[in-house]
Amino acid sequence: MEISTELEKRCDALIAQYPRKRSAAMMIMHAIQEVHGYFDDDAIRYAARKLEVEPIEVYGMLSFYPMYSSEPRGRIHIKVCRTLSCAMLGSIKLAHEISKKIGCPIGSTKGVYTLEFVECLGNCARGPSVQVNDKLFDKVAPEDAEKFVEKLGAMDAAGELASQSTDSAPAGGGDFNSPSYRGEVMAVVENRIIYEHIGLGDWNTSIEKYMSAGGYGVLRDTVKRPRQDLCAEMEKSKIKGRGGAGFPTGMKWKFLDRKSGKPIYLVCNADESEPGTCKDRQIIYEDPHKLIEGIMCTAYAIDAAQAFIYIRGEYINGYRILVEAISEARRMGFVGAGVCGSGYSCDITVCRGAGCYVCGEETGLISSLAGGRAYPRIKPPYFPAVMGLYDCPTVVNNVETLCWVPIVFSRGGDSVSKIGNPADPGTHIWGVSGLVQKPGCYEINSGEATLGELLYDLCGGPLAGRRFKAVIPGGSSMKILKWDEKFILKNPDGSSREIRTEDIPLDAPSFQACGTAVGSCGVIVMDNTVDMVEALANLNQFYAHESCGQCTPCREGTLWMSRITRRISEGWGREEDVELLANIADNICGRTICALGEGAAWPTQSNVGKFREEYYEKIRRQQTVGGQARCDNNAYRLI
Amino acid sequence: MEEKQRVNINVNGGEYSVEAGQNVLEACRGIGVEIPYFCYHPSLKVAGSCRMCLVSIGMPARDRATGALLKNEDGTAQIAWAPKLSIACGTKVAEGMHIVTDSDAVKSCRQSVLEFLLLNHPLDCPICDKAGECKLQEYTHAYGRENSRYVERKNVKPKHVDVMGKIMLDSERCIECSRCIRFCEEFIGRSIFGFVKRGSRTEIAVYPGGDNDSNYLLNVVDGCPVGALTEKAFRFKMRPWFLKVTDGICAESSAGVNTRVWSRNGEIYRVTPRRNDEVNGMFMSDSGRYVHLRFNDANRLRQPRIDSTSCDLGYAVSRCMEILKLGKVAIVANGWQTLEEMFVLGELSKACGAEVYMVSHLGEDDGKLVSADRTPNMRGAFVTGLLKDYPPADLSLLAQKIDSGEIATVLCLRENLMGLGLTPGHFKAAHIIYCGSLENPTSASAKICIPLRSEFEKEGMWINRQWRVQKFSKAVDAPDGIADDSRFLLSLLGEYTSSSWSDTSVRSIREAMVSRITMLSGCADVGPNGVLIDSSSFAGIEFPEGKAYHFKGQE
Repeated sequence: MEISTELEKRCDALIAQYPRKRSAAMMIMHAIQEVHGYFDDDAIRYAARKLEVEPIEVYGMLSFYPMYSSEPRGRIHIKVCRTLSCAMLGSIKLAHEISKKIGCPIGSTKGVYTLEFVECLGNCARGPSVQVNDKLFDKVAPEDAEKFVEKLGAMDAAGELASQSTDSAPAGGGDFNSPSYRGEVMAVVENRIIYEHIGLGDWNTSIEKYMSAGGYGVLRDTVKRPRQDLCAEMEKSKIKGRGGAGFPTGMKWKFLDRKSGKPIYLVCNADESEPGTCKDRQIIYEDPHKLIEGIMCTAYAIDAAQAFIYIRGEYINGYRILVEAISEARRMGFVGAGVCGSGYSCDITVCRGAGCYVCGEETGLISSLAGGRAYPRIKPPYFPAVMGLYDCPTVVNNVETLCWVPIVFSRGGDSVSKIGNPADPGTHIWGVSGLVQKPGCYEINSGEATLGELLYDLCGGPLAGRRFKAVIPGGSSMKILKWDEKFILKNPDGSSREIRTEDIPLDAPSFQACGTAVGSCGVIVMDNTVDMVEALANLNQFYAHESCGQCTPCREGTLWMSRITRRISEGWGREEDVELLANIADNICGRTICALGEGAAWPTQSNVGKFREEYYEKIRRQQTVGGQARCDNNAYRLI
Repeated sequence: MEEKQRVNINVNGGEYSVEAGQNVLEACRGIGVEIPYFCYHPSLKVAGSCRMCLVSIGMPARDRATGALLKNEDGTAQIAWAPKLSIACGTKVAEGMHIVTDSDAVKSCRQSVLEFLLLNHPLDCPICDKAGECKLQEYTHAYGRENSRYVERKNVKPKHVDVMGKIMLDSERCIECSRCIRFCEEFIGRSIFGFVKRGSRTEIAVYPGGDNDSNYLLNVVDGCPVGALTEKAFRFKMRPWFLKVTDGICAESSAGVNTRVWSRNGEIYRVTPRRNDEVNGMFMSDSGRYVHLRFNDANRLRQPRIDSTSCDLGYAVSRCMEILKLGKVAIVANGWQTLEEMFVLGELSKACGAEVYMVSHLGEDDGKLVSADRTPNMRGAFVTGLLKDYPPADLSLLAQKIDSGEIATVLCLRENLMGLGLTPGHFKAAHIIYCGSLENPTSASAKICIPLRSEFEKEGMWINRQWRVQKFSKAVDAPDGIADDSRFLLSLLGEYTSSSWSDTSVRSIREAMVSRITMLSGCADVGPNGVLIDSSSFAGIEFPEGKAYHFKGQE
């Protein structure tokens, strides 16, 4: 492998953005792969030399993150999302159709093509999603596979699929430009605060546009205010983190160890990778300055020495948009030295992930950003607020959460705390995907609508001739709800009432009272055509693929569960598998290093628990027919 | 020693006072409650990944508003239990902490962790070299399920991977505890082993074709709790339960690394480190593990000889005495001799008016457990009075004295005079008596050769670079016809002194030595950690150990 001076320069520039050399690992590996195509021994040794690490450490990362490859890939690299929301819309069949058309088996490279299944692309509301090189394609129906392949051929011939090696944002906001999504907004219950600019006809990502809408005004005021007041406002607002765990943001800031004398870091978690979740993508792709203003307000409030955005690797144009937007903001004095003319300086570095769900876990993200395998860290001692990035005090906040910060600073914590349900104030952006008429992202005041209103009024109800069967309310890790389930909810006056799933108010306490959680508000909708065993098999495969493998229960348990559900799906279920599945999930839950252990166990626990009879029926049916007929190839398959 | 702080904890209902600052796992071990673990290692950073040591932990509950301790109705402290089980290795004991290690929740957790670990494990104990000393095997018997619930296919991973010719890696047996990775990072100071791939497919690996060697690499074999990393030199040679284990001290250098010597029927199969946190922690060098091979080859001096003719040991010893009686004697001692032997040698030199010579054996100091002085007991020579100054690298002074006729007889112990400045001419000019374990140019030319024991064939004490007196045991019997070093020296001494030693055991020599040398007065019965002696009287002497002087197995 020949190292061009251009690559050398690019690597050096990347390294310069990080306080520690090896922190540039993710980006340098992307840069090398972009130029060289894949990693051979030379490329690994080059990366190791640049990062001053051992080759085994580079190889450890290379083999951990699926976006890096140790083999050459085709010029047209087709990645079909196989995770639940896309799978329910036919992505499994789509991949097989594409495979037939291009003559390339799934998971292999043939000629100019590489075809593979990938886990959730974060485009759940517009599936089936296919990413080809850097381009994302929405709603590629399996019936259109032939047309799709022809289109790819034409685009390839026209050079439109070539990977863009420049770090600038393509005009018009990149690949998130589907008009089908825009405008389908029923203003009746939507209250667009975070999404105020999303979907506006004349909106674009330029800083001029953002400033003409009053953007960066809050930052200008913020840097004149005492930090204590700002943190107090955040605490008063009672805004909870929007990443999934729902931890109060003000409290998170309060836990920061400010006495250590070490620099404080702010990390924006833009690794949106919970299946069913695609809310942050819109902010990044369409309103990047809103996020940047949020980051800078937060950075000032917590006195961060440097801010990072860790964006998932699949959001490649999102990365370019952010880099461009940050350089605009830097030019205007909002980022970098002397923010808004104040004495406070802080820069933002954007780091790309490379296909790893565990990077959404804040300590896993920190491990990845520090330049390693994304292993979550044990707590104690590695509480981010005390021992975070480089073992320094660190705040990790989600994209949507950070966008709340300027709103809290300008409107005041008290005022924000009165939006929606006071126990969970603010709005939630519900990313609805799966089998509904109008999937999409809907921003609604907390608790001011019900799940039924969201799914029927905003999303148009079930597909023609179908009935809702089940809903996963907060991203695939949250416990599933049967559509005909009944719950007891407490009224504010202390009395209680019985409600059905569709009556659940859209806020955190209500879902919690129903035995599940709002998580990242990614609502995955399943109707009566969905085989629940197949749905679980699909998710179990996701967790087995995404388990980082650090701690025993999740490493071994997720693959075991996946192998069992796949075996049942293939026609070889045993009745004892049902209880075994539930027991394996119980043995993972609560015994892992990070919370994703629970996240991997809850789907099985709830799905098996609530649809137990469906499992037994399926298995008994398989046993009755026997032989090859056990596996009904025409049946609804999700893996 | 300053008094360590203590805290009161409750383990399974019993109240104990334990040293503060330690983790729950060590505290429980200290009071006899075993908590099983795989990834934890006392000398390495906590990984917390195996989840085997999960226990219930609670702290006294406090009122949120006032901070006052809450009581139950019966007056006992109310305990706020952590909602999830906690890792005992990563949790420090604290005042009032309650720990439960025998509840159903804990038992079920251990059982499930073992079940998970065995899912993709090849279950090949009958052909696994680790069997008998495998934590996975032991814990499965103690805490595991009786049957397997796993009917799926197992993962396939690389097997028979050769690591630098020293280690065989079997990834299928690996439980991903990361001890090998952490050892290389933390002790060797570079990443040699690393995790590759992800999830259940995770493997440990070394980078192919790379320079992955280190003189400490074999410690990962000791650290590996399962059969994933086995030592090639020991592989398939012997089941560990057939081996006799004796406590040794490594003779490689003045570091005084504590070892275990594993032998059977007089043959040493392996040497492994023995934990001593004051000296070597839990580690030793690779080269130190093979010191015994020096004595294993065909070069062993097995028969006494006079003028190149084999003879009876008794006759050889009596000829030695005759020659020594001629006077003008020089004794060449060495830093491998035990303190006890040096003591007798000191008495002998006084009795026969002999001058004592020694030479230094220096090598590179690795800053860790191989120090510059490659003899284990040079300091013993100072304590027993054989040396006043650190010895030179050769015996040119002795050669001069033979040339000038001042020395007519040399009693040489172990050293190869030919390599140290003496020439064949000197062997003609003086009577050379060679006593040692190995054949060399000196033994070939010496007038009398007396075969002596190796350091694995005798017991005794050495003083390491820290001035720590350490005891080692006899691991194997010497071959027939080989003299007992101290008895041989005592019989020579007996020629000069009227008081004969009725008891020629090492113990009796040690008692005499300890009563005679005040510096060693505390060393009559040296325990496993050894005894540090006051070395202030040698403060003026420059010893060659550099940065490694205070290395204790951990930095």
